[in-house]
Order: sequence, then C-alpha cells, then structure tokens
Amino acid sequence: MIRLLGTGFACLVGLFLIAPVLVTVASSLTTTRYVTFPPQGFTLRWYAEVFRKEEFLSSFVLSVGVALAAAAVSAVVGLACGLAIHRYRFPGRAALEGVLASAFAVPTIVLGIGLLQWFAQMGLASSPFTLLLAHLVLTVPYTVRLVLAGLAGLDRSAEKAAAGLGAAPFLVFWHVTLPAVRGPLIGGAFFAFITSFDDLTVALFVVTTDLQTLPVRIFNYMQYDYDPTVTAIGTLMVLFAAVAVVVIERFVGVAKLFGADTEQNR
Amino acid sequence: MAAIGRVSDGTLSRPRWRTGLLLALPAVVIFGLLFAAPLFTLVANSFRTQTGAFTLSNYERFLGDPFYRGVLWNTLKVAAMTTIGCLLVGYPFALYMRGRSPRVRNWLALLLLSPLLISMVIRAYGWLVVLGPNGPVAAVLKWVGITPPQLLYNDTAVLIGMIHVMLAYMVLPLMGSLDRIDPTLVPAARGLGAPGWTCFWRITLPLSAPGMLAGAMIVFSLTASSFVTPAILGGPKVKLMPYFVYTQATTTLDWPYAAAIGFILVVVTTGLLLGYARLLRRNNGDVVFQ
Repeated sequence: MIRLLGTGFACLVGLFLIAPVLVTVASSLTTTRYVTFPPQGFTLRWYAEVFRKEEFLSSFVLSVGVALAAAAVSAVVGLACGLAIHRYRFPGRAALEGVLASAFAVPTIVLGIGLLQWFAQMGLASSPFTLLLAHLVLTVPYTVRLVLAGLAGLDRSAEKAAAGLGAAPFLVFWHVTLPAVRGPLIGGAFFAFITSFDDLTVALFVVTTDLQTLPVRIFNYMQYDYDPTVTAIGTLMVLFAAVAVVVIERFVGVAKLFGADTEQNR
Repeated sequence: MAAIGRVSDGTLSRPRWRTGLLLALPAVVIFGLLFAAPLFTLVANSFRTQTGAFTLSNYERFLGDPFYRGVLWNTLKVAAMTTIGCLLVGYPFALYMRGRSPRVRNWLALLLLSPLLISMVIRAYGWLVVLGPNGPVAAVLKWVGITPPQLLYNDTAVLIGMIHVMLAYMVLPLMGSLDRIDPTLVPAARGLGAPGWTCFWRITLPLSAPGMLAGAMIVFSLTASSFVTPAILGGPKVKLMPYFVYTQATTTLDWPYAAAIGFILVVVTTGLLLGYARLLRRNNGDVVFQ
C-alpha cells in the first residue's frame, strides 16, 4: 500500500517536472491561432512560420555562433586552469579557486548589470564578442570543475611510468593525461554550449535591439504575441537541448555538473 | 590532494610555479576583467549619483521607502516559501529515489535536472500555457465545474515555476545525506520494536538534516536572485528585487540605483546564509531536529 502510494507520488512529481515541456511540444501542433492545450487538430504550420521569420533565424545564427565559441574557449581555458590548480602551486592560486567558487554564488542578474556598467565604462560597444566574453564567466567555472574531477580520478603513477620510460612531456600529456579528462572536457563543452545558448539574464543586459540572441528575441516577442510560433521554437530548442543532454550524460553524467553523484556510496 | 607527488617528480627543474601561472593565466584574465572588475564597478557605482559624485542617497532611498522595503520583504518571503515547497515535495521524492536501483536513480536524477537543462524562457513559457486560461489546469477545473481563477501573474504562479526549477537543488544534497545513513540503523530499531514512524522521526530525519539544510541554503539564495522565471510568470505585479534591478537598469536608466538594489540583494542573501550557517554550526547541524 505504501509502496503504491510512493509510486503514485513519484509519478505526480514526474508529471509536474515534464508538464511545461509536454504542453509546449503538444500545443505547437494546434491549428488555432492562439496557444491552447489540448491542441486542436494537427498542423506543422507554426514550424514553417518560424523559418519564415527572418529575425528569429538571424538570432538563432547569432546564438549558435556565440555558444560554439563559448564551448570551445571554455574547454581550452577550463583544461588549462584545471591543470594549473591541480598540479601547480603559484601565487594567487587560492584566490583563483575562491573566485571560481564564488562565480557560482553571485546572482546572474547582478553579474549582468555589472557587465553592462563595466562595458559602458570601458567604451565597449555590444557585439557578438562582448556576448561571448560575458558568457565565459558563466561557463568556465563548470568546465574547470569537471576537469578537476577528471584529474582527481587519474592515477599519477601512469604518467610517471610513461615519463620514466622516456616519453617526452608532451607525449605524456597527449597519451596519458588528456584521455583521462576527455570525457569531462566534451561534457563540459556541451554544457557550456547550452548554458550560453539558453542564457537570457546576462544577455538581456549585453544586447541591443539589432543584436538579439534567440532567448532575448523570444522574451521580447512573448510580450506582444501569444501565437503558437513560440511553442514551435520552444520545441526545436528542447530537441537541441536533448541532444546536448544525451552527449553530456554519455561522457560525464548530468548530475556531476551540479556537483552531485547519484551513484555515490552505492 | 594537489600538493602530493609534485616535489618528488624531479622531471622538470625550472620553477614550476611559472608554468602553473601561465596555464591559469587565461582564466585569471577572464575572471579579473569580466567578473571582479564588473562587480567592483557595480559596488562603486552604487555609491555615486548619476553625475558621478559620491553619495549614500541610493541606499537611503531604498531603505527609506516602504515600497522598496516591501519588495525586499516579498523577495525573502517568496524565496522562503519556495524553499519550504521544495522540501515538502523533495523529501518524499528523495526517500522514493533511495529505494530504487542505481539505474532508476540515474533516470530520476536526470528527470529532476531536466528543467535546468531547458532554456528558461521556454520553461517559463510552458508554465504560462499550463496555467493559462486555455491550459490544461483551467480545462480540468472547468470540467469539474469550477470557474478557473486567475492562475498567472501572482505569487502562486512564481512559486510553482520556482519549485519546478529548484527541486533538483533540494533533492540531490538530500540524497547525499540519506545515502550516508548506516543502512542497518533502521532495521535494528525496527527489530527492537520501534514503529516505522518513530524510526523516521528519530533516525532518518535527524540524520538527513545536513542535506536538507544544504539544499535549503542553495534553493533560498538562488530563488531570491532569480529573474527570468518570476518576471515571466509573475509579471510586474509580483514585486521582487531582481525585477527592479532590471527595470531600473533598462527602463528608468538609473544605473546607480540599479547597482544599489543589486548590491543590497547580494548583501542580504549572503548575510542571511552566513548567519544561518553559523547558527547551524553552533547547533552542530544535526541536533537541530531533536
């Protein structure tokens, strides 16, 4: 009886967790001009509508470009920084660790308005480049965290054995160290991609009317229109995120990103 | 852990700290220029007038105005309610998760984390549809014969949206705590004749307190400072601090005041959390519930 109650409760929580996505995907198929659930009829016209709206396409291109750059840069910077923290003692190491930890704690909105005022003070006009810079602050702490976790699991004696057998430092890095952090790096890069691609809070402060990322475009569009176009874009973005999640889960495990390990102590 | 094994390496004789610094340099530059400097600018600007002179007026304005004090109070209230909501939903869910196989647990964790991996605009938009006048909740209420009340643009809508995102932050630390409980304790107590409820109250609940409290801290601070979900689900009617940071910065264009509101938000939330953490340490964390 209690078992049944537990299962029922878990199913309800599950439904609660997937409800917004479920409803978004379903109502993107409605034939009505307004968003409704359950959807009425079946049409793909809202998807066609998405591709007809040029401003959405240009925003999509901008978002993908910035997100790809953010993923690549965070992977490289994260690897270098992770190695530095794990392997070396250098002046300011503790401070760097402290800053990386506090980056998780500072509210994104405060960071956004700080960047707005700082960029203005520097005379830096908003461009895809400033967007990338802003997003790196959000993504690098995660890649560093994952790289550090990967390095912690690496047996240093393998590296020493390789070095002792005469392998050059670069070869040791390439054949022993890098494979150990490959999973975390790929997972971290994909997470950096979706973090940048989905970011609204920071982007809102950094963008202009001519330069809007996709989330900003949707946010502004939502204020005036309530047609199912947004649900169609939403469905496409969910698919996008789903691909990224599958990759992350394959290489590092999603729970690790948030500092938890579900299989711990089992 | 990082310090071990380095000295005996001996493969490199040149000063190794230079290599370390070089590797860390990109991150140092990024966080120096794009994290430390903006936050410093923000704090500095909050003590300036629009023309740049030093002033405390931004803070006086906030603290002297009952409207803004109300906004701060409401922010803390919504954060506290979200925390309680996450605990009420999350605790039974964590207990359920604990009894499952590692495979199922992994799936459940993924399910919990899924809201965090979807674009927050889309997630909030989804709730607009779910709770909206043409949504499933309204449809069910109509079918039962109740005229659906306004479900959007109020504290309840924000609460639902926030619990949805924050649940993972409560359940995952809770799982960590529950897993550390010696699995023989409860059967031992049962064997000695303690009823199930007593076991829960005297063993499971107190021993899982650290996870609960860690989760509560994360949920509270993240909720108090979140902007997108409350802005979309609550609209201008639900008055929260991050919303005013945004409108002051982009609509009213009073940057020093926006900076001051942002800084007050950071100070109040971190201050509360530090006080809470100290309180816990004094009580040794786990005796709180006895």
